[in-house]
Amino acid sequence: MTATPSVAPREWTRTHPVTPFIHVIRTVFALMAVYAIEVTQRPEEGGTLPGFVLFAIACGAIAIAIGWAAAEWRVNLYRIGDDAVYHKHGIVFHQHRQARLDRLQAVDIIQPFIARVFGFADVKIDVAGGRESNVSIKYLKLEDADALRNEVLALAAGYRSEHPGAAGGVGGAVAVPVPVGATPSPTANAASPVAVPPRVPVVAASERVLYRVPGGRLVGSILVSWSAIALLIVAAVTWMIVGAIGDEATSSQDFGSTGGGVTAMIVWVISLGTVLWAQLNNNANFSAGIAADGIRLSHGLLDTRRQTVPPGRVQALVVKQSLLWRGFDWWKVSLNVAGYHEQKQETVSTLLPVGTRQDALDAVWLVLPDLGDPDPAGTIATAMVGSRAENGFTASPTRSWIFDPLQWWRRGVKATDRALLIRKGWLLREFYVIPHERTQSLAIRQGPLQRLLGLATIEVHSTRGVIRPVAAHLALEDAIALIEDQARRAREGRARQTPEQWMAAVTG
Amino acid sequence: MTWYSPPGVTWIRVSPRLATARLICWWAVALPVLAAGIVLGLNGGAWWALPAGVLVLALWISWIIVRQVSAHAWVEREDDLMVRRGRIFRRVTVVPYGRMQFVDVASGPLARAFGIARVQLHTASPGSDAHIAGVPAEEAARLRDRLTTRGEARLAGL
Repeated sequence: MTATPSVAPREWTRTHPVTPFIHVIRTVFALMAVYAIEVTQRPEEGGTLPGFVLFAIACGAIAIAIGWAAAEWRVNLYRIGDDAVYHKHGIVFHQHRQARLDRLQAVDIIQPFIARVFGFADVKIDVAGGRESNVSIKYLKLEDADALRNEVLALAAGYRSEHPGAAGGVGGAVAVPVPVGATPSPTANAASPVAVPPRVPVVAASERVLYRVPGGRLVGSILVSWSAIALLIVAAVTWMIVGAIGDEATSSQDFGSTGGGVTAMIVWVISLGTVLWAQLNNNANFSAGIAADGIRLSHGLLDTRRQTVPPGRVQALVVKQSLLWRGFDWWKVSLNVAGYHEQKQETVSTLLPVGTRQDALDAVWLVLPDLGDPDPAGTIATAMVGSRAENGFTASPTRSWIFDPLQWWRRGVKATDRALLIRKGWLLREFYVIPHERTQSLAIRQGPLQRLLGLATIEVHSTRGVIRPVAAHLALEDAIALIEDQARRAREGRARQTPEQWMAAVTG
Repeated sequence: MTWYSPPGVTWIRVSPRLATARLICWWAVALPVLAAGIVLGLNGGAWWALPAGVLVLALWISWIIVRQVSAHAWVEREDDLMVRRGRIFRRVTVVPYGRMQFVDVASGPLARAFGIARVQLHTASPGSDAHIAGVPAEEAARLRDRLTTRGEARLAGL
């Protein structure tokens, strides 16, 4: 805790005054670069404008950018209520948005590098419901951002209170905010029996870290990837061409076309390098843990992101292993969360960027502590590396090879009491886990060739995201049985699912 | 067992007027092409094959339209709505009432002239794609209200 504890505001509040500067700092750097290029090239190019005019233009552009950002900051207001977070902003187009907390899907604290250097953060509150329903409040001091997140999570969990910090005052060491029903501290009662007690911040729920991704393994996993191999090949080819040009430069006049080729190669190298860098930047220092208010993910090298996904908000999982990772037995786990469709999908949808088999099991456990199976580890192992009808899987029949010559023996489904597992892929092994109560809708479909062979495909519809589970080419009678059973299981799952306010059931 | 049709359900077919409306749309495109083909065909030579081909294609697609519309049906079960669609590529979608976020009823000018409407169900998933085209207009309004009521009664969190 800091010396002056932060409290999320109940009245309209501006974000931190530094916001406009953080917003324009990239623009400023870009302008400075342009200016520098313009100035340094002047001697050869013989620039048309005198130096002081250029300088004035650059300064003017920066001033306008800052002025505009400042004006936007002035009208950028937020507050929280018991039921929602309110946000209004915009100069030309006013926008007043409320994120209803009973629809809360996730809260992220995002720190782009520049904001992070100065200790500021962006709080992104993801709610379900249409496009553009999320609220992003930037930028706040880090402790204000934390306070806002903690209070939003406490309110969404169903701790009803005019002053949800009723327990937070007890030395700040309390793990979970205590609900109103709990005995209030006697001093607080004595001090102000009638007047509104001072608002005390909600303390972050204590977190137990389940796994971390070591830096060496992450770097290794990035190097052992198709992008890295492609980068190596392209770089090597470029190197050889450049060498060849070096030899022929004196004799050949055909430099132009080869030069164009080299430029294209360099663009390739840069774009592949960017992909690899993005993976490192997003997934460095990855840790995942569990807290009372949900799954906590924290990752990032320069730009960092700390995600909290409350219990029961993960819609689906996919566990994957590329052919290159097979020797290391590394796995990657991604998830679907309903509010996460508008952001950088890959970045936010990663539950485990690379991990051992045990890490992957832990990741699945994080989402589904009870898989509803007598032997969860064995079942997941079968889903990972098994084939055909092993261990109770319903496999696609042999006649489906014509659709999937390279993976038909891997295709299979198994329903546990809590989730549906769909397995597929030989070179790229993968399997989906969809909790029954998270199934949106189901479909069965059949094309003409499938009809001839007596096969059908089942689609399980999850929310928008990286995962679109499909169980392809099952025998028709298996498919029909599956869609019937799955509709029933989803119904039963919905009946017993976690309440929207996941602590309300506990605290009454 | 040829195709998925749970025992005890009676499918409600969409209005055959949908076929008429779709045929009008289709022939509005096909007829000018056919006319152009005939004009070319009058020039003699092997050009007669063109309008003949167009005619065969147009008739075949008309047949498909009629078959598709006759396959399009829905049924309201206790907990979910089932929508059946397609002949060659066939598909049955099952949408639980508790998963419906909202229901749209839409009808263009031609559909209004024929007194039919399209009922579109939305869940939180982009894959659901459950729509019923060609529901008689007054039935569409009733269906929407019924679905909404049932959805509210069973609405579950995401």
